[in-house]
Amino acid sequence: MKKILIVEDDTSISEELKNLLDNAGYNGVILKDFENSYAEIKRENPDLILLDINIPKLNGEMLLQKIRKESNVPIIMVTSKNTETDEVLSLSYGANDYITKPYNPTILLLRINNLFKRIENKNDILTYNDLTVDPKKGIIKNDKEELILTKNEMIIFTFLLANRGNIVTRDDLMTDLWNNDSYINDNALNVNISRLRTKLTDFGYEDAIETRKGQGYILK
Amino acid sequence: MKFSKYLKNNYLIILLFIVIIAIIDLMLISFKTNNQAIVGVTITGVLGFILYLIYDFYRRKKFYDKFINDLDLLDKKYLITEMIEKPNFYEGEILYDALYEIDKSMAEKIKEYSLNIQDFKEYIEMWIHEAKLPLASLNLIVHNHKELSDKKITEQLKRLDDDIEQVLYYVRSENAEKDYLIKETEIAKVISNVAIKNKDILLENNIDFEVEVGNTKVLTDSKWLEFIVNQIVSNSIKYIRNDVEHLIKITTEENNKNVILKIYDNGIGIGKSDIPKVFDKTFTGNNGRKIETSTGMGLYIAKQLCKKLGHKITIDSKENEYTEVSILFNKDDFLNVAK
Repeated sequence: MKKILIVEDDTSISEELKNLLDNAGYNGVILKDFENSYAEIKRENPDLILLDINIPKLNGEMLLQKIRKESNVPIIMVTSKNTETDEVLSLSYGANDYITKPYNPTILLLRINNLFKRIENKNDILTYNDLTVDPKKGIIKNDKEELILTKNEMIIFTFLLANRGNIVTRDDLMTDLWNNDSYINDNALNVNISRLRTKLTDFGYEDAIETRKGQGYILK
Repeated sequence: MKFSKYLKNNYLIILLFIVIIAIIDLMLISFKTNNQAIVGVTITGVLGFILYLIYDFYRRKKFYDKFINDLDLLDKKYLITEMIEKPNFYEGEILYDALYEIDKSMAEKIKEYSLNIQDFKEYIEMWIHEAKLPLASLNLIVHNHKELSDKKITEQLKRLDDDIEQVLYYVRSENAEKDYLIKETEIAKVISNVAIKNKDILLENNIDFEVEVGNTKVLTDSKWLEFIVNQIVSNSIKYIRNDVEHLIKITTEENNKNVILKIYDNGIGIGKSDIPKVFDKTFTGNNGRKIETSTGMGLYIAKQLCKKLGHKITIDSKENEYTEVSILFNKDDFLNVAK
């Protein structure tokens, strides 16, 4: 399980953030000792750091510079300082991403996920039972057959696949679609899901995507 | 400075002089003085007096003409004390010293105000960062506790965030100091942030959101532009027309000199007489009066920000048909050459 360190002095936010990360399958850890923030970060040795700029003692930007002297751990700046200068500075100090409060929690999770993907440099090929899914080429295939998925169908399928066995809300799917510049409406989402179902049926997975009424979808 | 006016202004002393000369002449006549002597005294007196008047007129004229001329030329009139030389006549000296005193006192007062404004601005910026924390927290709480989850709550949170942002950008737009950063920005990314912010309300109102901006890049401050576009899109959402399928369409046009970002909606539009006034401060117009939440500040701030960034914002609309806001960005020739 990936460990994500939360460097944030607002306790309400840090606790809810931990909650969010834990629910999403990460191990959220809250930094407590701001006096010795750097030492604690080293001790925790996290896989990713969510770093606020306005924190007590050493501010986020300075802490970021200090960490970067020794480590390449992925860092996302999460801050309410919504200026271009702060963003440019943070990125030049070596932050991997910059997101401003208040943020859409789903978007934050997507950004974290993307960052891990980018860093691990996975070849992006996913599998679902005997199916191979190649999001870059937009195809899904088994030994005998190969089908093309549209951009939207692929976004939906990879999201469901990443959360396989868990309920995915329509809102989460919509957020991921919109985050990829597909500004579709509810009807279009229905159409895309039914097309995806038809394509999966072609491979013999008839009821792979189950509808949970009032909750969302689940990929079995 | 005119000589005739100067004479008019000194008429008492001229009158007095004529009377005195007349009295002296009469006295000399009554003492049976030589006629030639009388003429000599009179001419000497009158000539001396006229010479004095001319001298006095010219030294004043020299000072006041320069004073008035400089004042005309000056953009900031209060800098006049830096331009003029100390005059060589008494009243001029008084004026000169008084102007210095007045200027000094005004400068102090202005400094006091600008410090107050600076303090206030810093406080507002700090307050806004603080206010965003509970907002961020609430967004997470709503997301984490599905049983509390309600689109209505997130919508209200979004509204609150928009209102807070508006104050922040109002302060930034009114402030003389340059607190933006121009860099090459991908329009699609800015639009994407605005779209995600407004996703729920767009979906709920069945508004189709079409974006065709390709990978157009412009020189701007992306955060400022995001605020501006968000204001425009928020307006489009507010003023939808019920008898059509709602549509917001964002496109770009590009030529050699500039890029134009167009935000079109098929909403209720703006009346012809209201169009020239939509960028005015606190102007709400006919449409605003129909909707309670209209403050008339959004477009005003958007225009101020555009001015600072060097973009041009215009609006075109037909009542009950459409509204289209265009933002014109200049292309930087130097940057293109540098590439």
